[in-house]
Amino acid sequence: MKTSKRNEEQNEGFGHLESSPPFEDWTDFVDYDPASWPRRVERHFSLVPTVCFNCEAGCGLLAYINKDTLEIERTEGNPLHMASRGRNCAKGPATAAQIKNPDRILYPLRRSGPRGSGKWERVSWDQVLDDLAGRIRQCITEGRFDDVVYHVGRPGEDLFTERVLTTWGVDGHNSHTNVCSASARTGYAMWMGIDRPNPDHANGRFMLMLSAHFESGHYMNPHAQRMTEAKESGAKLCVIDTRLSNTAAKADYWLSPWPGTEAGLLLAIAGYLIQNDLYDREFLRRWTNWQELMTNRQYLEFLKEQEIATEVPQSADFDSFISLLKSIYGQYTPEWAEKETGTSATDIVTIAEEVARAGHAFSSHVWRSAAAGHLGGWMVARNLFFLNVLTGSVGTRGGTLPNSYTKFVPEPPHGLGTTRTWNETHFPLAYPLAHFEMSFLLPYLLEKRGRPLEVYFTRVHNPIWTNPDGFAWIDMLRDESKVKLHLALTPVWSETAQYADYVLPMGEGPERHDVHSYETHASQWIGFRQPVLRAYRERLGEQIDLTYQTNPGEVWEENEFWIELSWRIDPTGELGIRRFYESPYRPGEKITIHEYYRYLFEHTPGLSEAAAAEDEDVLTYMQRRGAYEITTDVYEEHERAPSDAALRNAEIDSETGFLWSPAPPARSNFRPFPGPFQDNEGRTRVGVLVDGAPKTGFPTPSGKLEIFSSTLHDWSWPELALPIYPRTDAQFTLMSAIVSQVHHSRIDKERSEYALLPTFRLPSLIHTRTNGAKWLYEMAQQNPVWINPEDAARIGVDSGDLVRVESDMGHFVDKVWTTEAIRPGVVACSHHLGRWRLFEDHGSDLWNSSLVEIEEQDGFRRMRLVHGPGPFPSNDADSSRIWWSDGGVHQNLIFPVQADPVSGQHCWHQKVRVTKAEVGDRYADVVVDRNKGQLAYDNWLALTRPAPGPGGMRRPYWLLRPLKPPRDLYSLAQH
Amino acid sequence: MAACPYDAIYINPDNNSAEKCNFCTHRIDNGLEPACVAVCPTQAIIVGDLNDPASEVARALSKGKPTVRRPEKDTAPKVFYINASEITLDSTQPQRRTLTATTQLEDKTASPDKKRAASSTSSAAAAILAYGRPHVVPWDWRVSCYSWTKAIAAGLLLVLPSLFLVGVDIGMAWHLWGAVLSALFLGLTGALLISDLTHPRRFFYILLRPQWRSWLARGAFLITGFAICVGLYGLAALLKDETILAIVAWPTIILAVPTAVYTAFLFGASKGRDLWQSPLLPALYTAETVAAGAAALAVLGIALGTGDMSYEVITAVLAVSAGVSTLLAGSEFLMPHPTRQSRFAADALLRGKFALPCWAGLVMSLAGAVFATASLLSGAAPLAAVAGLFFLTGLYAHTHAFIQAGQSVPQS
Repeated sequence: MKTSKRNEEQNEGFGHLESSPPFEDWTDFVDYDPASWPRRVERHFSLVPTVCFNCEAGCGLLAYINKDTLEIERTEGNPLHMASRGRNCAKGPATAAQIKNPDRILYPLRRSGPRGSGKWERVSWDQVLDDLAGRIRQCITEGRFDDVVYHVGRPGEDLFTERVLTTWGVDGHNSHTNVCSASARTGYAMWMGIDRPNPDHANGRFMLMLSAHFESGHYMNPHAQRMTEAKESGAKLCVIDTRLSNTAAKADYWLSPWPGTEAGLLLAIAGYLIQNDLYDREFLRRWTNWQELMTNRQYLEFLKEQEIATEVPQSADFDSFISLLKSIYGQYTPEWAEKETGTSATDIVTIAEEVARAGHAFSSHVWRSAAAGHLGGWMVARNLFFLNVLTGSVGTRGGTLPNSYTKFVPEPPHGLGTTRTWNETHFPLAYPLAHFEMSFLLPYLLEKRGRPLEVYFTRVHNPIWTNPDGFAWIDMLRDESKVKLHLALTPVWSETAQYADYVLPMGEGPERHDVHSYETHASQWIGFRQPVLRAYRERLGEQIDLTYQTNPGEVWEENEFWIELSWRIDPTGELGIRRFYESPYRPGEKITIHEYYRYLFEHTPGLSEAAAAEDEDVLTYMQRRGAYEITTDVYEEHERAPSDAALRNAEIDSETGFLWSPAPPARSNFRPFPGPFQDNEGRTRVGVLVDGAPKTGFPTPSGKLEIFSSTLHDWSWPELALPIYPRTDAQFTLMSAIVSQVHHSRIDKERSEYALLPTFRLPSLIHTRTNGAKWLYEMAQQNPVWINPEDAARIGVDSGDLVRVESDMGHFVDKVWTTEAIRPGVVACSHHLGRWRLFEDHGSDLWNSSLVEIEEQDGFRRMRLVHGPGPFPSNDADSSRIWWSDGGVHQNLIFPVQADPVSGQHCWHQKVRVTKAEVGDRYADVVVDRNKGQLAYDNWLALTRPAPGPGGMRRPYWLLRPLKPPRDLYSLAQH
Repeated sequence: MAACPYDAIYINPDNNSAEKCNFCTHRIDNGLEPACVAVCPTQAIIVGDLNDPASEVARALSKGKPTVRRPEKDTAPKVFYINASEITLDSTQPQRRTLTATTQLEDKTASPDKKRAASSTSSAAAAILAYGRPHVVPWDWRVSCYSWTKAIAAGLLLVLPSLFLVGVDIGMAWHLWGAVLSALFLGLTGALLISDLTHPRRFFYILLRPQWRSWLARGAFLITGFAICVGLYGLAALLKDETILAIVAWPTIILAVPTAVYTAFLFGASKGRDLWQSPLLPALYTAETVAAGAAALAVLGIALGTGDMSYEVITAVLAVSAGVSTLLAGSEFLMPHPTRQSRFAADALLRGKFALPCWAGLVMSLAGAVFATASLLSGAAPLAAVAGLFFLTGLYAHTHAFIQAGQSVPQS
């Protein structure tokens, strides 16, 4: 029976509507043409699952392929996807508009004028691949393993591209991490080794977040669903945010501390739990490295000297540890916090009581927000997770899980290659603990490097627009003595692609293959992104060799591009690269994309059995469903005994309680994981003894949760080795590396200074990834400066008036929006919007970018608006209906680089002066002095405490690092 | 569109037709939830059969505290909000500020009051956290103009046959040229009406498939009937046949009045526009129509040359009707504005963005009455024509201000 007929019967009085067409109808789904209603005109669709590529959440999509036209008409939710469960935010359905975007790049282009001149000629993929393969091959044969760089904005996949780089041997992975999550990662890593949290909101009784996950951020859609469920079953939500986000508005508690004092606020909550014995004593005893702290007498004396602890116990037993905690954290009283943070003491007590009541079902989350905003923002994450440690809600049902408990990355064919150098431009000595590459400093670090990058890929990455100090990037990318060849891998134009040598069109979400696994909830799953037209046409029996044959124009998918490129780099196999790209099923022949994924799926636990039960092969199973859940048995991995294989040869070190194995079992899950921890005899740690029982433990130096981080201590940051926040003037000096650049003591109201929060997202956009999603830009076009009415009155402006926002290196001119939703003394501006292009007909997203012109003289730069977005001719009638003429202001250009000396994070929040616009100022003006940008870079660099660390190392070996090189490359001694 | 209290109706640019959400009927027919329900991450929207007490939607409504938008409009909405804040439901709440493309580069010297009215050229305030798309005002100058030309057309052939029937002899030339002028303005009225339709061909639908409860359809038929009368009246005048004229005069008057006044009811039916709900509106339209007719005749008098008798009667009619209509229009001042929406609109009309055309219009209308009186007292005939010009200009200005101010209230 047809769906429609059956549902008509079911829906007598429409009481039983379904959210999505049932799986069995996907091969031939019949719907009624909405435009023909009330006539019921039937249309036939094939529904093919894929995964959204707009934000990192990777929600499931179902592409509706019209069987008559072979067009992807719309993209809706995939009900079989365990994280998104058939639901999507606005960005998911907008994928359909991105595919048909008339402004897309359809063919490979090579510049035919100077860089940035806007002149292009079409070239063939063969030309591109040969040119590229020759250059990369030369770098490899000449041993220049740090001359090839792949700089990725949105990975959207696990391991594929990182593996490619390891097979080439290059230390050439650069990322967007340090303008995003470096500080949160550092804060989490210093506790549990693993650098990402996975809050199990669905089962939480109390949720505490420094984020806006009802509306934005990854993993907004999966998290918002679970937060709603939890709230429905009585859980409460507390949001700490200076801005009244939609999420804060829906929270049970909204705390708005002065920006930069969040870490202090969290310690006050911790202090209350400790003072009132509201912690999980057993959990602390069993799972924190308190012994390491209590036996370090010298450090304890240091704590006393610095008045961090009022007194230091003489004995080293657990009770003494508890009294030490009280002596330290008892000083962070709610009353102290009220004074420091501007949050009421009563509220802090209320929240602390809620946290204590929730116990093991206390979930917390921070990823960017305050952590990404402040100097020392990593301590926000560290102090937040302290609350989980105190309540024993680490890895528990309803608590916060280390992300790797819920992540599965299948083993790739032929494994990984080996990184053959240490790229000092990505991991400079000044930032030994950075998480990870000092990506946003690249223009400055290349200056120091003195020799150019041979090949520089930007992939779904727009550093000119996204990173601070964008003019430094423009200068770098125009300079052929810095970057010899720049290739932009991108589906669409971007500010950065304007300055490329090659612009290489790559597929949108439903036009490419990827596999990924994310920490959306308490489940270990993989999602499968696929080119849906290829999957559909293959199902019809067509032979398709490469994905671009079913994509528009000559739009490739990256993965086939990497395979082809790698093959051409080493066609004979003499470099040892080719073997990684040979089929595991047809020895000696080039692997196909289907074989690659078949191999992955065959190495995913349970997937072969699940497919067999449906009488399908693993690839077909995933092509038809788009996602697979490996297990929901994910809680408390640290409590589990190591596997029998791991224990077989293991020896116990009675002093440390570590279990060492000379021959640990090979891993089957290629998730990012800290370590390995190895001893001098080359044995690998496979577990820790807890109360005499072997446990998996945590991947930290102690195998426990580290209240005392020996890593921070040993790498020159002893004053920051505990979860901490300065209380006294002396401590503010001692701990200046965690005193925010916008801390209230550093803001002079009389000078019209404000803290600018430049990082909040709009629910319907995602950085510059939503390019071409016309429906989304119809929803949001401008990014005014939010200002409290009190401050607006002081400056003498009202909504719509222009102000000058001035940083240390320049200013922009934007209009204000007066609103009570921002704290007095603080202004905010969304980092979405403000896109620009240099050319009338291309250069950025035509749907919402403004045409600008740039004036320059020595270090001086000025960007001026020529005109805002407007109608443009195309084959899409909607492009003639663009009614908005204001595309916002590009604020990041005026931000100097502010690298956190510990985490390496760009500290986004800015100390700015906000004043009425001056005579001659025009809307969207951006004026910058690059020399002042250089000065700021130098000042922030002076805060660092460079490597070498203990043992002459560049970086603690155990810390996570992409393309982790062999241990000997960590040592500075050998060079 | 102008009538909708929710600003929920829009023109689909693909087919130039008015559309609104139909709860994805094509999906419901197919057993699927509406798209907004299916997609929502937090499952904030529930759809179902309100008549089925067992349905999820009925249970949710019985548990929560459901409210609707603008219940006072008697639209019996079937979209309910549970535990919604007043601020999110009422777009005129003072906490809601709009920041639209229209405000981006405005005159920064304007006073805050002026600015507030200025930003309301859109009929939609943005929600708290959005900066929003301005919804286009559906009725522009063409509607003001149509109202004005119609008043002249109807007024001419309201005043002339009335004079004829009460036995004031003004000569056949007046009747003939009056009918010609009326026909001209009626033609303009029709042209404006049709051009205002985004889908001009839809005009025939109104006549062929009338919705009799709609003042738009009723008005179309009244205008058509009146147009026939104008033709016959003109013909009788051309033939100088007083018998026929006497026969035609009655239906002409009978149709001229509702032709003039139906617009008041049309505005009144626009439930979303509180300013237009004034009970004085039909009286105002009647007085304005009489005055417009008299004013047009006073101006026409210059061209035709006036007999003493007709000049005085017409000027007297103008003086009285212009005075009355100015008074009625000015009474907006004294009228209570019981709802926030009507206060918002009245504020825009009397003090805000539309104050200038509103006040200029009222002053000129009054000047029409004053000059007409002066003309009568002094016997200076040209002054009557001046009075007529003043009144007609004032009428247009005020009508335009009134129509625009009515639409200035954000509806969503």
